[in-house]
Amino acid sequence: MELDPLINSINEMVTSVLVLDSRVLDVMTAGKFLNKLDRIIEEAAVVPSLQKAARDLSKFLERIIIDYDSIKDHEAVFAGFEKGVGSLQIMANQVKKEGDSVLPGPPADVDGRNEIPADSGQAQEALAGQLRQEEMDRMNQDGEANQSFLQDDSLLKDFIVEALEYINEIEVNILNLEQNPDNKEHVNAVFRPFHSIKGVAGFLNLEKIRDLAHSLENALDKVRNDEWPVSSMLIDIILDGADALKEMIGNLRNRMDGREEEPLRVDISALEMRLKKLEEDPSGQGTVGESNVKKIGEILVEDGVIREETLEMALKEASRSVPPRKIGETLIEDGKVTPKQVSQALRKQASQITDATSIRVDTRKLDDLVNMVGELVITQTMIRQSPIVQGNKERKLFRDISQLVTITSELQRLSTSLRMIPIKQTFQRMSRLVRDLSRAAGKTINIELEGEDTEIDRNMVEEIYNPLVHLIRNAVDHGIESPRERIDCGKPEAGLITLKAYHRGGYVVIEIADNGRGLNKGKILDKAIRNRLVDPQESLSDADIFRLIFLPGLSTADKITDVSGRGVGMDVVKKAIEKLRGKIEIETIEGRGTTFITSFPLTMAIIDGMIVRVGRERYIIPTTAIRQLLRPTRESYNSVINKGEMINVRGNLLPLVRLYDLFDIEPEHKEPWESIVVVVDGESRSKCLLVDEIIGKEEVVIKGLGEGLKMVKGVSGGAIMGDGSVGLILDPEGLFELSEEKAA
Amino acid sequence: MVDKKIKILVVDDFATMRKVIRNLLKQIGYDNVIEAENGQVAFRTLKSQKVDFVISDWNMPTMSGLELLRAIRADQELSKTPFLMVTAEALKENVVEAVKAGVNNYIVKPFTAEVLEEKIAKITDSL
Repeated sequence: MELDPLINSINEMVTSVLVLDSRVLDVMTAGKFLNKLDRIIEEAAVVPSLQKAARDLSKFLERIIIDYDSIKDHEAVFAGFEKGVGSLQIMANQVKKEGDSVLPGPPADVDGRNEIPADSGQAQEALAGQLRQEEMDRMNQDGEANQSFLQDDSLLKDFIVEALEYINEIEVNILNLEQNPDNKEHVNAVFRPFHSIKGVAGFLNLEKIRDLAHSLENALDKVRNDEWPVSSMLIDIILDGADALKEMIGNLRNRMDGREEEPLRVDISALEMRLKKLEEDPSGQGTVGESNVKKIGEILVEDGVIREETLEMALKEASRSVPPRKIGETLIEDGKVTPKQVSQALRKQASQITDATSIRVDTRKLDDLVNMVGELVITQTMIRQSPIVQGNKERKLFRDISQLVTITSELQRLSTSLRMIPIKQTFQRMSRLVRDLSRAAGKTINIELEGEDTEIDRNMVEEIYNPLVHLIRNAVDHGIESPRERIDCGKPEAGLITLKAYHRGGYVVIEIADNGRGLNKGKILDKAIRNRLVDPQESLSDADIFRLIFLPGLSTADKITDVSGRGVGMDVVKKAIEKLRGKIEIETIEGRGTTFITSFPLTMAIIDGMIVRVGRERYIIPTTAIRQLLRPTRESYNSVINKGEMINVRGNLLPLVRLYDLFDIEPEHKEPWESIVVVVDGESRSKCLLVDEIIGKEEVVIKGLGEGLKMVKGVSGGAIMGDGSVGLILDPEGLFELSEEKAA
Repeated sequence: MVDKKIKILVVDDFATMRKVIRNLLKQIGYDNVIEAENGQVAFRTLKSQKVDFVISDWNMPTMSGLELLRAIRADQELSKTPFLMVTAEALKENVVEAVKAGVNNYIVKPFTAEVLEEKIAKITDSL
């Protein structure tokens, strides 16, 4: 019969109970029985009611194990267990006789802890109650037992040293976590130090330290269990918590050195509030409704400017006076805050009010909206350009179509702006990164930000973050020298990293500059030659040599310290940037510093383009890149030896680029004075593009070119034009490079 | 009679914690104490010298307390080694897993020397 194994297991367990030395269940024995029960539970799958009984008995054992220290009456516990095992046997025998589910159901009490049929139900119930009470008693007792913990000075000293080390680790690992929120290893790496610090602090009577470590550990535990996501609010709280812990431990050390009568307590009321808020809304973003706009007093307490008690007193005072005064005024008069602090709080409140009138939108809907508007633009242009409409003489139709165009343009402008956000947040993340990395590296580095309000498509923000972080890491680790080195070179001890953002020629440009070592030409060239990446005979310009660091062979082949300045991964950075249709350039002076200039296309969807014709082909030039259009005179055309053809534009000689030549097209006109010249801006210079005709300005929807064509120089993408045909969008800088290559 | 000369191996990745336990053990008369900073080092130590008792933390890098316990119970030579697990309040649920894997008992941080003595005695008494 299939039930044989089950019956055997149960009988075996009964025997085990009978042969026990004493009528006391110790932890290990309980464990053994738990394992036996696991097997029984599995084997009892065919007899649900028996399986449930076994499960309940198992839960009962687990309860015993967890509350073991509180058990006063071991005899009763054992008796309860024994009865439970006995019942299982009875049930098993009945099954054997009558075959299957002809068993009496379990009695009505539904406390999962002790639901075992027959007469043992009540015993277990009483027992469970007793355990609960004893657990509470024990917890109360522990409070008094605290005194007998250790008060050893040398232990405290060790603790301080080790705890501070751990906290430094936490800071580095938190950044790893921020970048790779899905990596459980990083969560563990941050969780463990807090857990360890909490553990030892408990032994040394360091209550405040223990409590704080415990709160932070809890938060991280929730992340470990996937209950909470890794939000930036969480990261900030953990970082600030680590700072507070550091301060507490520092105070402890001062006290031990006899320096100050400093209490161990650091005011963490603000931190606790933030943790509470996080509990209410783990996504860390929070929808701010009207009612959530904070009062000035709350803001001041939250920011740690004043204590809760101070606020309460002031509130009482303010309400007592006739007429009731504003809390800000009261606090200032009492000397608890400065006017500046109140005005800052007011500003915060104002921004919250504007937040309260904003809503959250699923970004997918936003993307759909922008796409639809793009399609609308195309369709509208197609209508506009249809011969029938072109030939229309009716005034009303003409007016209506104009109106349509106006509305569509505005709609398109609005929808694009919905997706643009200032780069400020990214910059702030990066400046915190600099601060934390430099601390970990033992260097002093200041940060300067320029152009935080520069807007960038929100879809790009996450994409560009990683390559930029790489560059910052490099700047901190290899660019800026150690304080000692800097002093030896006559530089100020603190290094400087500058982050700059601005729009230029259809691109968002982000510069990361440091005033550190700069790159060493010679070393780079040597490495490259050694790794057979360049021909030693080749004559390379300085710019070419520096660009070598982007070659895969160079970065991966070397140890980080060898190529003075930059480390592993520059080829990865370059690839990542180029994947976003961006570019990266270097400017560096050995001994003075290095600047990385990265640029990314402004928007991903729709651009304002100038349609030009070369021969029979049409191309699109982003209007943001266009400086000027002109028909040059014969006189303005110059041919300079060793420099090529130039056009005199308002006194400046700018090189001429014959587009038909670059693209192998038969042009309508070859002479500049018979054609049109479009003066365009590249990244750092301007040139003249020769075209046959300007067709007109149009808003075009950018469509990708597909993998095979993505890296074609001079072309930054494809676009759908008014008549539905596809045109190529020109990239000025790429064209410049192409023309130089051809000339060489 | 409890034998206070037994060799006890204390395993924890936090050096100060190992010191704390060592101090507590000294207070109750156990002087023969050696240390290991994670499960791997502990296991190697166990294989290379005779250890009478293991007190181990749970959450450690490289090889956790649970993994160490399992390795010990699976090893012919070491399988009967008494093992006391050190755990923090919040992780009590892990205790069940540990008990099923064969731990002799567990002790919750922070604990006093008295409690430690009790726990050790309970285990050594029942051997």
